[in-house]
Amino acid sequence: MSTVVHDEHVPEEAWRRVHPVTPALKGWKTLVAVVVIAGYQAADDVRSAADLLGGPGWLIALGIVLLVALIGWGYAAIAWRHMRFAVTDEAVHLHSGVLFRTQRQARLDRLQAVDVVQPLLARLVGLAELRLEVAGGSGSAVQLAYLREPDAQALRSELLALAAGLRRPSSAAATTPSAVTAAVGTPVTTRPEPAAGPGDAPAVGTTPGTGQHGTAGEAVLADGTVGDTRAAEIPAAQTPVASSSATLPLPPAFEEAPEQEVYAVPMPRLLAATLRSATVVGLVVLVVVAVVSAVWSRDVGILAVLFPAFVGFGGALWGRVNAGASFRAAVSPDGIRLRHGLTEQRAQTVPPGRVQAVRLTQPLWWRRSDWWRVEINVAGYGTSEDAKRATVLHPVATRDEAATALWLVLPDLGVADPRALVDAALSGVGDEGGFTPAPRQARWVDPIAWRRHGVRVTRTALVARSGRLVRQVDVVPHERTQSLGLEQGPLQRRLGLASFVVHSTPGPVSPRVDHLDGRVAAALLDEQAERARTARAAARAEQWMRERS
Amino acid sequence: MTSEPTPAPSQAPDAAAPTSASLPFEPHGVTWTPVSPRLASARLTSIALVLGPVVLLLVGLALATKAVWLWIPAGVVALLALWGALLVPRQVRAMAYAERDDDLLIRRGIMFRSLVVVPYGRMQYVDVSAGPFARRFRIASVQLHTASPVTSASIDGLPPAEAARLRDRLASRGEARLAGL
Repeated sequence: MSTVVHDEHVPEEAWRRVHPVTPALKGWKTLVAVVVIAGYQAADDVRSAADLLGGPGWLIALGIVLLVALIGWGYAAIAWRHMRFAVTDEAVHLHSGVLFRTQRQARLDRLQAVDVVQPLLARLVGLAELRLEVAGGSGSAVQLAYLREPDAQALRSELLALAAGLRRPSSAAATTPSAVTAAVGTPVTTRPEPAAGPGDAPAVGTTPGTGQHGTAGEAVLADGTVGDTRAAEIPAAQTPVASSSATLPLPPAFEEAPEQEVYAVPMPRLLAATLRSATVVGLVVLVVVAVVSAVWSRDVGILAVLFPAFVGFGGALWGRVNAGASFRAAVSPDGIRLRHGLTEQRAQTVPPGRVQAVRLTQPLWWRRSDWWRVEINVAGYGTSEDAKRATVLHPVATRDEAATALWLVLPDLGVADPRALVDAALSGVGDEGGFTPAPRQARWVDPIAWRRHGVRVTRTALVARSGRLVRQVDVVPHERTQSLGLEQGPLQRRLGLASFVVHSTPGPVSPRVDHLDGRVAAALLDEQAERARTARAAARAEQWMRERS
Repeated sequence: MTSEPTPAPSQAPDAAAPTSASLPFEPHGVTWTPVSPRLASARLTSIALVLGPVVLLLVGLALATKAVWLWIPAGVVALLALWGALLVPRQVRAMAYAERDDDLLIRRGIMFRSLVVVPYGRMQYVDVSAGPFARRFRIASVQLHTASPVTSASIDGLPPAEAARLRDRLASRGEARLAGL
């Protein structure tokens, strides 16, 4: 495999390997897979399997298992030898593969999220996997597995700091680490309060030197080029930052940005919410149907159907509890921090401005407690089964927490009274809260929920409301709109209605406003295209610590 | 119905409000470029090539075996082909695109209409493709990709020169208005 041109920038000593225990951990997967497959096969024909194991066959079986394990571990060890990674100021480089080698280079200014994932086995031995999400669809993540947990944390801080636009100190500056720490650490003390509007934020900065970092993200939308701010990268530190020669790796160059917890999900609420879910309702219905038909037909055998059902539904419920257990969210200058998981623990960091859309949903059976599930679209997480755990911002929120979760993503909703807007969006109907509702004709196409269809456009975001039995609210910041669409079926055309669609990155949120008046929808399309354009032009830089000024 | 003339640009002031409820798909001051009518020929030919042999086979079987019921599927397939033949030219006439200063509009559909607005700054890449069949009819299709997979922004049935021009134009405009995500 020939080397790529980009590699010239990476000094040889910058390359690192993952932890040597990795092959042992990864090799287990092969063994487990073989045992599971063999188990399924044996279950098909228990008697012959028993015969086989009764004789000298079990020796052969054991030998095969050992052989497979050895092959698995051997391959994992070779793969480990071939895998190495390096972090430069601009990108993360990853070389991997045994037969088919890949060289992946993820640009840090395209970083969408950094996750530290700890499966149970890895957690027991103090290792963790680091996943960098870049916006490239599923499979584009850079996965560094496994690192020692402190190393993974340090690497995460380093990546986030570099992605934020901070620079590694040169070797000269490294002799005064306190200055660097000051530069990285100060933003933290100046976090804006939840209620802070855009105008308040700059006032929070304590000193002129530090104000630029942490809070400016919410406030400074001034234009200007990024290039000319290079000289002022770390103004507080006043260190002679070398702009080009600073590629030498200095291990703990960046301290983890402190954080402030915003909400935590109590376990009783999570359990109660999980019990009141569609899965349990389906299970109850199934049990009732099975019992009734067993009584009816006087055949107890029907109840055997319930066994696989219990296993399946139980697995689904366990999955939800496992993913949502000890869910905590915090804010830091690096963005939103989410921690959750019972067996597999996951610590996510989503930098500012990376959330593309938010959805709040309330199933019918959560209505009485007024609980909401909050999900987000982040480019890079995609829509895989694994991603479904990563795109939850709050598994079960009270109304207050739902508003807070929304604030986490969108600190400025662009209205004078954000709480009133949230209330109107969550449970309002018709034109409450300044919403533009679907007209009366919409009752012919959606007799149940037509009053809930509505849209409100604020200065910063579009809020779409829908659903009567399952209430749903989607929020899309204007600058995150990808493209817009208008759709109209034959029935809608007859009634003079049209649906307005906002296209967002892959994820659980697919915002749309159904059955608006045709003229309103057309006007909305036009205005929204204009608004998105203006918002994009004013949007902050990708590197959130290095604001345009 | 879909080939209604665009409103005259002289009524410019109320640019955001189309004049009639039947016209949400006719934004003001937009000049639509229709796609090439050769797309209809291409699609009709492909229908004929796929369904024609099926009809012939069924008819042949019906004649050979003298089984009366075999005429029913033959008739159904023939009706499908006829329906397609009637629908396709109208569908193709309904497809159009428009280049505005900052975004591209794509319109399609008769029964189920859709209009997509793709800002140039949101384009991630542009595909130009032409299969063997399309090449024969001298048409190509241009597809715009944004970071959203649901952006269904493809323009079929462009003359190759126009497809190349559009591709270059989109690429240059996208670069000028480039935004992150």
